[in-house]
Amino acid sequence: MDPQKNQGTGASIVARDITKIYGTGPDAFHALGPIDLDIKPGEFVSLIGPSGCGKSTTMLLVSGLEPISQGHVEIDGKPLTKPISEIGIVFQDHLLLDFRTAIQNVMLQQEIRKLDKADMRSRADALFEQLDLVGAEDKYPWQLSGGMRQRVSIARALVHDPSMLIMDEPFGALDAISRTQIRHDLEMLWLAKRKTVLFITHSIEEAVGLSDRVLVMSKSPGRIVEEISIDLPRPRPAHLGEYPEFAVYAKKIYTIFEKLGVYNF
Amino acid sequence: MKLRATVRKAWEPALWFLGLLLIWEAAVRIFAIPGFILPAPSVFMLRIVQSAPQLAYHGMITTKLIIYGFVAGAVPGVALGYLIARYSICKQLLYPIVVFIQGLPKITLAPLMLVWFGFADFPKILLTGLITFFPVMVDSVAGFQSIDPRKYYLSKSTGASWLQTFLKIELPSAAPQIFSGLRISIVVAVTVVIVVEWLNSKTGLGYLVLRSMDGKDTSMIFATLVVGSLIGVFLSGLVQAIERALVPQGRH
Ligand SMILES: Nc1ncnc2c1ncn2[C@@H]1O[C@H](COP(=O)(O)OP(=O)(O)O)[C@@H](O)[C@H]1O
Ligand SMILES: [Mg+2]
Repeated sequence: MDPQKNQGTGASIVARDITKIYGTGPDAFHALGPIDLDIKPGEFVSLIGPSGCGKSTTMLLVSGLEPISQGHVEIDGKPLTKPISEIGIVFQDHLLLDFRTAIQNVMLQQEIRKLDKADMRSRADALFEQLDLVGAEDKYPWQLSGGMRQRVSIARALVHDPSMLIMDEPFGALDAISRTQIRHDLEMLWLAKRKTVLFITHSIEEAVGLSDRVLVMSKSPGRIVEEISIDLPRPRPAHLGEYPEFAVYAKKIYTIFEKLGVYNF
Repeated sequence: MKLRATVRKAWEPALWFLGLLLIWEAAVRIFAIPGFILPAPSVFMLRIVQSAPQLAYHGMITTKLIIYGFVAGAVPGVALGYLIARYSICKQLLYPIVVFIQGLPKITLAPLMLVWFGFADFPKILLTGLITFFPVMVDSVAGFQSIDPRKYYLSKSTGASWLQTFLKIELPSAAPQIFSGLRISIVVAVTVVIVVEWLNSKTGLGYLVLRSMDGKDTSMIFATLVVGSLIGVFLSGLVQAIERALVPQGRH
């Protein structure tokens, strides 16, 4: 693949030996690591691993939202000391505010960051169009389906055009048809902007379908056990089975999981 | 269909209430109960009409005190509830004091207030505030404590300041519980103001009740109580309307 093509406008993420231990004393729980990350500007990297291995923890450490127990993180070459705000995060379980309508949830970014209102509103409207949310603007989260809530949360992460995007199982609550569509939409959005993406998933299809590189994690406490570059042309088709290479990549990840004892057939 | 259901919902209790008044009226007439013990509804209703200017004058003064006292209790109630919920140092410092004052029968502070501050409005507002403060504070603590901690991840990732986090995340998240405290407090405030007006006042519904009692004017007492009750109903309706306008998440 042409390396020039991967030169994005995003931030770089470097992590060295990061470890997370939740709690102290007898309650201390080693949840993650040590792990290393080297994510280039504009790269799309997936983190895949079994549930509870520390994927969400990784995203909290890398974004500065949880203190790192050991090791350190650098964003764009600068040591991470406080939560990064030049970021869009799709939190697991969407984390929408139930007292705000869909559009108000997205416009929270504009309000807090004090960005131009009209400009951000038109960006939000464009995202609602792309994410098939037209008509849902004035609905409250409890009036939306699980899939719609997750798409609103994706719009909230993208609307301010951050240089870095972290998505924690963003398609978890979607049905198979929506998943394929939104995977494609996300890929197109990413191709247009080339921001750095750290994509957390437990779906092999999503990881291979979207990423430049897939990092495979072991069971808790998670470590990165394998790194797989995905050399497939973009945009990737809805039906990944069209590529014989897809099956090869998928098989590779399955085999690692099998070896790690993630599966028990 | 929906309209008819709404009309029925409003009219059925109203009819029932009217029926009760009719029974009351009939009972007073049939058993010839003396008016200074239990006046017939028709008597004190007429009294409300006759004394309308007087009732309105004193009613307004009482309403004003209720609102001032309510605000004087509610604002610090929310603020202290926030501090206690968010900062363990505040909890350690303030909770013992709060528990002690909560245990105190606060209405008995009224004579003390009188000694300290005299007959002005200030001691009345202070006492009303002190009493309405507690339900609001207790529910605010619960509200701020029950915020999903992950919402702080969201606010941090947007770079929100302390004030932005408070106004855009914390306060609206805790609003349903805060309002359940406010709904209790507004009703309590009505009673407290009227009682305080008994003790030291030359105006207000409480004063009017006391003066009517001295004059054995039972129908005027009833007329005043009806006005007091209307003020209570109106103010708690107002609090609920504000809640409906500001708190969408309670509606599902
Ligand atoms: N705040 C916390 N306190 C204690 N343990 C936690 C906390 N958050 C997560 N954990 C534990 O850390 C492990 C990794 O969690 P998480 O990063 O959420 O995993 P994943 O996202 O891969 O499913 C799990 O065992 C989880 O129970
Ligand atoms: Mg997770």
